[in-house]
Amino acid sequence: MRYTGALILGLVLSGVVFSQEIVCKRVKSLPLDPLDKAWTNIKPVDISLSGQAVVPPMELKPSITSISVKCLNDGKNIAFHLVWSDKTEDRFHLIGKFSDAVAIQIPYRPSADVPITMGDKGQRVLILHWAAFRQENIEKGYSDTAKIYPNYAYDWYPHADPPYKYPENWANQYALNYIGGEKVFRKNTFNTPVREVVAEGYGSSTWKDIQGAEGKGVYRNGKWYVVIKRAFVEESTSNPEWGPGKETFVSFAVWDGSNGEVGARKSLSYSWIKLRIE
Amino acid sequence: MVYKAYNWQLGREVNYPYEPKRPQKQFAVVMDLNKCIACQTCTVACKTTWTPGRGQEYMLWNNVETKPWGFYPLGWDIKLLELLDGNKKTVFDAPEGEVVLGWKPDELDWMYPNVGEDEVNEPVDVGTVLENLPHPIWMFYLPRICNHCTYPACVAACPRQAIYKREEDGIVLIDPERCEGYQECIRACPYKKTHFNFVARISQKCIGCFPRVEDGYQPQCVITCIGKIRLMGFINPPENAKPDNPIDFLVHVKKVALPLYPQSGLEPNVYYIPPINVPLSFLKQMFGPGAEHAVKTYMAMREGKEPELQALLHLFGSTPRIPHTFKVVGNEVIAYDEVGKEIVRVPIVEPIQHRPHKDEKLDVVRQDIP
Repeated sequence: MRYTGALILGLVLSGVVFSQEIVCKRVKSLPLDPLDKAWTNIKPVDISLSGQAVVPPMELKPSITSISVKCLNDGKNIAFHLVWSDKTEDRFHLIGKFSDAVAIQIPYRPSADVPITMGDKGQRVLILHWAAFRQENIEKGYSDTAKIYPNYAYDWYPHADPPYKYPENWANQYALNYIGGEKVFRKNTFNTPVREVVAEGYGSSTWKDIQGAEGKGVYRNGKWYVVIKRAFVEESTSNPEWGPGKETFVSFAVWDGSNGEVGARKSLSYSWIKLRIE
Repeated sequence: MVYKAYNWQLGREVNYPYEPKRPQKQFAVVMDLNKCIACQTCTVACKTTWTPGRGQEYMLWNNVETKPWGFYPLGWDIKLLELLDGNKKTVFDAPEGEVVLGWKPDELDWMYPNVGEDEVNEPVDVGTVLENLPHPIWMFYLPRICNHCTYPACVAACPRQAIYKREEDGIVLIDPERCEGYQECIRACPYKKTHFNFVARISQKCIGCFPRVEDGYQPQCVITCIGKIRLMGFINPPENAKPDNPIDFLVHVKKVALPLYPQSGLEPNVYYIPPINVPLSFLKQMFGPGAEHAVKTYMAMREGKEPELQALLHLFGSTPRIPHTFKVVGNEVIAYDEVGKEIVRVPIVEPIQHRPHKDEKLDVVRQDIP
């Protein structure tokens, strides 16, 4: 078994907590802007990252090896401030080209026994995934063909309205469902760059129907500055056991688009980090 | 986890990351390359049916390329042969950290389908010396759709398990809701028949016209083919081959239809009758060691020595329905549907009407215009 070594490594590391701890201070209001002054006085926790080497496809040569994390809460919402160095700014998800991204993982049950490899059956995790290409869409308009390939000579779109909406009464319902349907359209047109995902083991991650998390990313001087914000308790959907005065765990993953990183090809923190919410 | 899957095209077991399982029926298409004229009617039929949307501009679920120098995407099969350089290796013998031995084309590699492919096909003057070229001047057209492989590399590689092979007909589909556009399938498929939609941000591929197949009809690219080079049906593994099944007859009984680059290990299910004008070494590289037998059989057919095969080729392009069985009766070839009902009857030799040059009755001379 070629991957046994990597799997053992993964199993050994799941459930391990290193001494690091993030303290999430309570403030009156949470800034969504990562360059807001409210973030400057908080001491960051530097977390080291390594390539995903548990399940193929792996990232054996990751380009991002650490991330700097700050946390604030206002009693109802929690916000993470994430900074990492990335020489290239990748803001598009194209053919063979990927966008920079970052994700926070939180176990539903506040325990370090939950496998760090995206949970397991009955041991659900919440993942908050910010991506630069979504940020680009929100700030500069949806990345449609004309924007991505301005010189593309093509003007025949018999069915699809921008960005990808097909008419509901289109006669070919199979095609409608298969190549464009409402869900694909909806997935791409949420007005937030952060996706809420739940997972019970790798390969199982699924988008939540309710998408409440917000975020903002800014690229400056070779670094990404990203804030991801979510309510502790969101209405009409499942939530982790977390809130003011509680302790839980978090872990982080970063994708460098120009290093070909997407999906399982990423760098991540291989241990749960204690999160103390004041 | 790695399983052993039996690949009858290679006659041996190959590694596969999922438990091998054959579907109840397996979608298959046979294409006679001796008859393809690259009119691209199939390409246009598919394009207008399935890929007219935003982000699909460059996508061709069906394409026709000019071999040996045409590619879509650029150099796809050269790259495949380079990857498989080595003894008894398939794309499932991947290095550490990978599921499939694959490669990802650059976006520009997709951007010029057919551009310049035919420009070198000039008429050759009498007396032209060809010996110094890498190969004599020959070419043929290769129409390609998704192979709906028995062991699909795209299914193997998808980390989200968003691709699945249907139990009822073996058609391979991507679930657009689960797909996140990681493009692992694009890296994995050696035939490069999955594409990334950069507007919807999901991968998409040929769907074997499954809505038509479910209703008992052949795909759009098959029925619109004006060269009548294609036939869609269902193939059985060789041990269950039925001589009255048109696909089984061509692939297993007569062995004139061969898989494309079977060394990939995927057991592709689009079969080609190789062109008889092409050097055998090239055909063997492309279609495996059976190429010589296929060419000989086809040439024998042209001499009238394979009447049943010749009759069956008349069914190509003769009906939109899927033929499950066929029979040759007298001067006719008859196709039947799944329940044995006749769907089409085609004369093997068309009656010839001879019209004299001069019509004595009308006292006119006929021009040779229909």
